[in-house]
Amino acid sequence: MDARMTTDPMIESPQTEPQASSELDVKPETPEETKPAKQVRMPDPKLDPNSPNVFEVRDLNLYYEKFHALKNVTIDIPKNHVTAFIGPSGCGKSTLLRCFNRMNDLIDGVRIDGSITMEGQDIHSKDLDVVNLRTEVGMVFQAPNPFPMSIFDNVAYGLRCQGIRDMKKLRVVVEDSLRKAALWEEAKDHLHRNALKLSGGQQQRLCIARAIALEPKVILMDEPTSALDPIATAHIEDLIEELKKLYTIIIVTHSMNQAARISDKTAFFLLGDLVEVGDTSEVFHVPRDKRTEDYISGKFG
Amino acid sequence: MNKRRKFADDVRTVVTWLSTSISVIVLAAIFVFVFSRGWNTLSWDVLMSDYHPENMLVEFSDGTPGHFERPADLDDADVFSEKYGFALRDEIDHRKQHLMVLTYIADDSPLRDAVFAGSGPRKGDKITVMEDMQIRRFDYMSEARGRKSPAGFMGNQKTADETIERIETDGSALIGMFYQSTGGGMRGSLVATLMLIGLTLVIALPIGIAAAVYLHELAPKNKFTSVIRSFIEMLSGVPSIVFGLMGMTMLFSVTALFGITTQSILLGALTLSVILFPVIIRQTEEALIVVPDGLRMASLSLGSSHTQMIFKVILPNALPGILTATLLSISRIIGESAALIYTMGVAINDHPEIGRSGTSLAVQIWTVMTGEQPNFELASAISIVILIMVLVLNLTVKGISSRLNRKWRT
Repeated sequence: MDARMTTDPMIESPQTEPQASSELDVKPETPEETKPAKQVRMPDPKLDPNSPNVFEVRDLNLYYEKFHALKNVTIDIPKNHVTAFIGPSGCGKSTLLRCFNRMNDLIDGVRIDGSITMEGQDIHSKDLDVVNLRTEVGMVFQAPNPFPMSIFDNVAYGLRCQGIRDMKKLRVVVEDSLRKAALWEEAKDHLHRNALKLSGGQQQRLCIARAIALEPKVILMDEPTSALDPIATAHIEDLIEELKKLYTIIIVTHSMNQAARISDKTAFFLLGDLVEVGDTSEVFHVPRDKRTEDYISGKFG
Repeated sequence: MNKRRKFADDVRTVVTWLSTSISVIVLAAIFVFVFSRGWNTLSWDVLMSDYHPENMLVEFSDGTPGHFERPADLDDADVFSEKYGFALRDEIDHRKQHLMVLTYIADDSPLRDAVFAGSGPRKGDKITVMEDMQIRRFDYMSEARGRKSPAGFMGNQKTADETIERIETDGSALIGMFYQSTGGGMRGSLVATLMLIGLTLVIALPIGIAAAVYLHELAPKNKFTSVIRSFIEMLSGVPSIVFGLMGMTMLFSVTALFGITTQSILLGALTLSVILFPVIIRQTEEALIVVPDGLRMASLSLGSSHTQMIFKVILPNALPGILTATLLSISRIIGESAALIYTMGVAINDHPEIGRSGTSLAVQIWTVMTGEQPNFELASAISIVILIMVLVLNLTVKGISSRLNRKWRT
């Protein structure tokens, strides 16, 4: 219950906002010191104090030109859990996801207030190399988008971008990544075939393997199964179950069933507001907010 | 439909038919005209021979007469010399002038054994006399006068018949002859055109592609960028002769850095590069637009830098479009003439060099048509070559772009 308090819109009202942000402005580089304060506010039973949150988002506001797409979002993403973002189209869940690896930088006219820290480091600070950030935060997109090159080259792409040319090492990483993405058995005999020849589900697993090859801390998934058939979707969901042992996963999904099946924590967004966040079972079974209940029970969305 | 509506409908349909047929007819007329005038002239020899005829004065080592059989496959119009074993034919060239062409030389004819008799370093060199040469004059030993006498155009004989009769009846031995190679070929211009294409692409492609990459991938999307883009597009509306003037005055100083003091193929290539920038930038940008954004996102999300994304993912995928840009550029180079008149010169050069002047095929048409005796046949033959080259290039472009379209459809 306390966990939800932090993100309850009533508490995250604009009146409390200045205090929260000023607190962070003073000590942006000291997560150890800010944590006790947070722990008072949200002692999450699932959270081991020794393994802190990967991301801590504080009072995040995002504007596309004039459009206010994210409104005072404050959320913690716990390590080695699956966090699902749900909500109707245009609610800002994908926008928030893209904040974590700063893909919004690519969109013209985006303005961001507030802070996102990754393990204590502000990801918008000038010292942070966005290229490094993106190697630590992998991303899988809605439509499978393998490069039109061989399966091997797809998986090795990220490493090669870092200047790794050693074929022995690349081979090891490619095999390891494909195994983790449950694609090795299907792909091992034609690693040098064009990746576009794979089926949609295989392509998506290849995209996951490609992201895993960089050993990221977090994998962002933007509706990874919405372009796939049910069988391929089931494959990907099984894979996510496996991957969460190794990685922190944030998944945006349209399907509430999917969120209920695979996620540990669920955040519900509506029109740019983070309405509710908490353990998945609680959000789905005893939602605190009327709007969450309406959405989950299918009254709108 | 009532009668009136039907009539109006028919009229509109007929108008579209007529309009289409006009363009088809014009195209067909061009082809018919060019092919009917040039097809007979066009041959491998014309493609591969020099434009300027070469004059040769040769002497025969052993000019004594023998006895030769007239070969059976010789045409009736060929006049055969039984004593010296060669055949001549009367022909009319494009200037309506009469000439004698050597059509046949027997294997052991005295003509086979000739040395260069003109002045200069080549004097005494062995010369292989080829068929198809235009004979101007024979020198022979006159029995009647007991001294060297000429026969042929330079003497009082005109036709092949008269010439051969004179040397056979009056002469005791052939001493030498003066002849010209046929000329009227386009090899020099062909080579110059190829050099021009190569040089221009080497200069224009990297710059054009890099500019397109900057404009589409790296430049901030603001007013300034779009102003630059519209300036570049405006370049394509500038008449090419204006580029020629600019090349003659401004780019000339660039070629002067290489020690080139005249109009040159390099200067032409520089000028054409400027003309081609808008074409290449435009086409490359189109190719970059086709590359799906998903690939850009994927590349960046895997921790590639912006330039790694461009060189590893975007450019390889834009390659078919860039190839299209290249082929379109080549057709533009082949077809360009106005800009080259000032920068490359109009004198046909049979041995083109990068630092020397020369003509492209299109400019050679201009040159052969501006003389006092316009050579319609050669101009048409060159036109055929140009048309075929452009046609092949266009078909290739079509093939590539249809492949390009298919690639992303899945």
